[in-house]
Amino acid sequence: MTDGYERKWENRRVAGRSAGDEARDSYYGTPVIHKPHWKWLIIFYFYLGGISGASYFVAAIAEHFGGPHGKPIARAGHYLSLAALIPSPFLLILDLGRPERFLNMLRVVKLASPMSVGTWGLTFFGGFCTLSAMIQAAQDGLFGKATLLARLLLGLPSRTISAVGSLFGFFVAGYTGVLLAATAVPLWTKAYRLMGPLFLASALSTATAALALILSLGRSSHESIKRLERLERVAMLSELGLLLALRSTLGRTLAKPMEEGHLGAVYRGGVLGMGLIAPLILHARSVLLRQPLSRGVASLASLLVLGGGFCFRYVIVLAGRDSADDPQATFEITRSEDTQR
Amino acid sequence: MSATILTEESLVGTTGARPGAMGFLTDTTLCIGCKACEVACKQWNQLPMDNFGLTGFSYDNTGDLGASTWRHVAFVEQISDETGQRPTSLRAFQSNWLMMSDICKHCVQAGCLQACPTGAIIRTEYDTVVIQQEICNGCGYCVPACPFGVPELSISDHKVHKCTLCYDRLQDGLEPACAKSCPTDSIQFGPVDALMARARARVSTLQTRGVEGAYIYGDQAVGGTGGIEGLNAFFILTAPPEVYNLPSQPVLPQTKVLPGFTALAGAALAFGVAAILALREE
Repeated sequence: MTDGYERKWENRRVAGRSAGDEARDSYYGTPVIHKPHWKWLIIFYFYLGGISGASYFVAAIAEHFGGPHGKPIARAGHYLSLAALIPSPFLLILDLGRPERFLNMLRVVKLASPMSVGTWGLTFFGGFCTLSAMIQAAQDGLFGKATLLARLLLGLPSRTISAVGSLFGFFVAGYTGVLLAATAVPLWTKAYRLMGPLFLASALSTATAALALILSLGRSSHESIKRLERLERVAMLSELGLLLALRSTLGRTLAKPMEEGHLGAVYRGGVLGMGLIAPLILHARSVLLRQPLSRGVASLASLLVLGGGFCFRYVIVLAGRDSADDPQATFEITRSEDTQR
Repeated sequence: MSATILTEESLVGTTGARPGAMGFLTDTTLCIGCKACEVACKQWNQLPMDNFGLTGFSYDNTGDLGASTWRHVAFVEQISDETGQRPTSLRAFQSNWLMMSDICKHCVQAGCLQACPTGAIIRTEYDTVVIQQEICNGCGYCVPACPFGVPELSISDHKVHKCTLCYDRLQDGLEPACAKSCPTDSIQFGPVDALMARARARVSTLQTRGVEGAYIYGDQAVGGTGGIEGLNAFFILTAPPEVYNLPSQPVLPQTKVLPGFTALAGAALAFGVAAILALREE
């Protein structure tokens, strides 16, 4: 776990700039704030947690409003939600400096701390998610017909459970954006009103893409997939709009880590190109020609969205770390009066 | 450096410090850069050494505050704004040399404390902010939640550490190790209201003597802004905060929580309606 704790001056010299050059506009280029240690484990959690939360509420809405064509969506959604949720606590616990103390997270409830609220929200969501998937399994006959467990699960008010659980689903899908916004990291905190909606939009686009992919592998009716793709387009367009809004809110200095170098390439190629523009073009073509996407093209579009969603988590986490290391970015938001209430 | 210090007269010298709050006044005009505070802090708190080597940044070889550096003396060799070169003449006061012993600010409203999801970070009876080491699980959320870059995860025990304002010494009626060791009384310890009165008097003395740039960093005008309400460990500075690597108008990160969640709820409502419209039985 030593990775990420390296002392700051050892790797921050910009090529061609001496200590004297750095001293001209900052304290030798020393970061004003400390960056978080979060890396791959948290990137994977943000991705899987988003898919889990969003596929749960999509399943719940399909169950309540979808009629017979909603059934396959609800079934796949409940299973996918649990499957994506199971690794999440392990990723979060492994990321702790002292994983054996993870239960200390449940000592207090703190409404001012999105991580505390998130821990409790994730805990309750875990209960609803597990219960709904078990009820789905019982309805699908996976626990037998007359076993005690099957009768117990089928006796539960499944629709009420998924209705209440979907509130937690929305929360789990989007709270991670607010968690990042409530820090001193310039790139995360500047556009604090956009971060939650952005994470929610990305969670919804990846969850609907995954569900469409799963349904296209099975024998589901074309109508179910068509409805999912409709929702997927709404999510992708919203995500694209929110990303553009984020860029314009950040301005040039703050957006620099997302636009330059390796992260810039992943942002343009992975998040925008692969994850949003390419699948939107495929969808637009089918809408304009009034032709449903062929199975192969639809699967390709879904895979692109899933890849793009991962790239988004990757870029936003790592660009935030770079942003924390840039004293000019911190000074920009702490000099301006618009950050004051 | 073209920073402007935003000051409203009525906020200068005012903080939201609670009655009985103890803190530090670090008067940088008295600092001689001896680093006795760094050494005394390390010895009393038994902190491990940090980087064994030279940073190349003036006499500063600890770099910044961190898990094993709770007092950090910054050395600013001022460079002329006009030419961008080292100045060729010495200013009468401070000789183009600024030294400042930085420390955890023990904010009146602390970002680290509010972020901590385990309750490991507490406010003590002295109104200081302390991390309970037997509870911290190293989640690292307080690290980016501090607008001053103070707490840090330790590479040796994977928990977060920062200044305790010598909580153990205070309980025995002793002043903190750094203040005790400071040979010029650049670091002064005491009740925040008394220290703030002293700081105001000192600033006006400095200004009448011709140090026009002297001001207090850590009141509601500069440093303790944006919901932070003031710093229990505050400073007298003579150059813009950015010169010392301090933010002039920092914001309490938790002011973003309620608007953030409100926006999320709005988006959830919108996507919920979109999902109902897209998935419903026609």
